[in-house]
Amino acid sequence: MDTRLEEAQKIAKEYEEQNQLAQVEDFIKDNKVKFTVDSKNYRIRLLNLSEKNELDTLRRKKFGQLLQDKDILLEKDLVKQYKERGVDISELDDSMKKIEAEMFNLQMKLGESIAKNEGNTVVDTYKKQVEELITEKNTIFTQKSMLLEYSLENQLLSYVYQIITYLSLEQSVEDSWERMFTTFEKFEKATEEQEKVINTAAQYTVLLQNV
Amino acid sequence: MYNMNISKSLQKLARSVRFQNLFFACKELHGLKLFENTSDLSYIQQQFLTHLYNFETISKDIITEKISKRVLEDEIMWNSYFLWKQNKKEDKTKKNSNKRQDVKLVMGKTINFPKVEDK
Repeated sequence: MDTRLEEAQKIAKEYEEQNQLAQVEDFIKDNKVKFTVDSKNYRIRLLNLSEKNELDTLRRKKFGQLLQDKDILLEKDLVKQYKERGVDISELDDSMKKIEAEMFNLQMKLGESIAKNEGNTVVDTYKKQVEELITEKNTIFTQKSMLLEYSLENQLLSYVYQIITYLSLEQSVEDSWERMFTTFEKFEKATEEQEKVINTAAQYTVLLQNV
Repeated sequence: MYNMNISKSLQKLARSVRFQNLFFACKELHGLKLFENTSDLSYIQQQFLTHLYNFETISKDIITEKISKRVLEDEIMWNSYFLWKQNKKEDKTKKNSNKRQDVKLVMGKTINFPKVEDK
């Protein structure tokens, strides 16, 4: 590849990294994540006390609704149904526990070899083994998450993230910020353009709130 | 859902000399703040504080305990080191609490309690 092109790509990457650092620094300071979609400015912020109360009320209401819906099962009932169909989720849990125990032992060895400055070969060997176990654990975790995706608990969690996004999403109007959606009904009926904003905002929602 | 790039940036910031110095100064000087808010910390602020504390401990250990600098390489390395360090500390505390110690009630006088064999 052309050296100048390589150099340009390197500079662009560094610039992007610096940009990301500045953005993260900015939002840890005041808990406000600013972003732009189609040249318009938006932000997500930490909920205040009254918004947290509103979130809690909506969450409880939704929980009651979900409980009455016979098509939506609690995680424990879903696990039971899977077992009847030959899919044993407890086996996945056992496998994860086994991997965790193995990982603990390896991490202890790796930690000791770092503390005792045992040299790159030893450190690299343990590190590689830990990495392999992490991948293995993540695969099983994803498998379990996919199986339980439609449980009542997960449906509720996904609803909670939607509510937080609805409550904390603001748009810049002249020199001030105002809520993008005044009601949850309007949020649910968002246009395609508004959905673009919601999707970007949703990525940040989880960073700020302790759900 | 926790964005990997954001997580990496957060670690990079916490490792930076600027934030390590600021973290140190905030502990020493009243009125100096890391964040605009002093309570109701967000999830990301809690993560950042953990990283600041961890990197401060690691930097000290690199100098005083002469541990390998490779500990700063990535999350696997420092998590393993902390796990080992924490367990070592717990083992030490356990051993110390098992030891029966003689008590000096008066300066210079030691009362030797009879030793009882552990079952």
